[in-house]
Amino acid sequence: MDKIQNHPVYKVIFKNAWPYWVGGILLGLLNVCLFIVQGKPWGVTTTFVYWGTWIMDAVGIDPSGWDYFQIPNNAANQAKNFLTHSGSVMNIGIIVGALFAALAASQFKIKKIKSWKQVASALGGGLIMGYGARIAFGCNIGAFFSGIASLSLHGWLYAVFIFIGAWIGSKILVKFLM
Amino acid sequence: MAEVRLDCMGEACPVPLLKTQKKLKELNKGDVLIVEIDHSCAMKNVPEWARKEGYPVELEEVDEGEWEVIIELNK
Repeated sequence: MDKIQNHPVYKVIFKNAWPYWVGGILLGLLNVCLFIVQGKPWGVTTTFVYWGTWIMDAVGIDPSGWDYFQIPNNAANQAKNFLTHSGSVMNIGIIVGALFAALAASQFKIKKIKSWKQVASALGGGLIMGYGARIAFGCNIGAFFSGIASLSLHGWLYAVFIFIGAWIGSKILVKFLM
Repeated sequence: MAEVRLDCMGEACPVPLLKTQKKLKELNKGDVLIVEIDHSCAMKNVPEWARKEGYPVELEEVDEGEWEVIIELNK
């Protein structure tokens, strides 16, 4: 009997990368489903605000007096936890789903750290992206993808500036990290 | 007719592609470049770019989550 790894259906679904247009259609349809179920489109980074406050709570700092948490909706989210806050469940789902996809394709690998320059740039880049996502009230998912899907102008504005940012970022990458 | 290996293990996109483009400029006709990658998006964009440039490309899965992109400089 042939091994399942050699079966053409296994290769198309689990092994080979899906074409971009398939991913695009699925993301669009799933975002519509999400909007119907929870009344707001997909977002990722707003959840990190709550994760941050839950960690602060755990070490004894109480952020509930901050301006941001005076808004009723934000206060309600802050009172939830990893299992009751829908954004948290979705973010954990992304990580677990990616793990399963990598395992199903037998492509899971713990990668070695290449250099301290790579670590510093990854951490620095992450901090800048996180700060930017909060200032912009969303990342490339919440502000760009869901913004355009909601026919909001801010999604298109985000698109223009993400191109400028990516252009500057790639110049920096070529100059300092290559 | 040299065989050159380019270590891109642990590098995320777009670094493997940029390194490949840089390395190919240093090589001559008849050389073979083997790019070692462990980032799945590089296994898409490195061969895609090299094929667009007109080089014959082979992709080999050497281990779980590790690939070698073999680019033949036929011109």
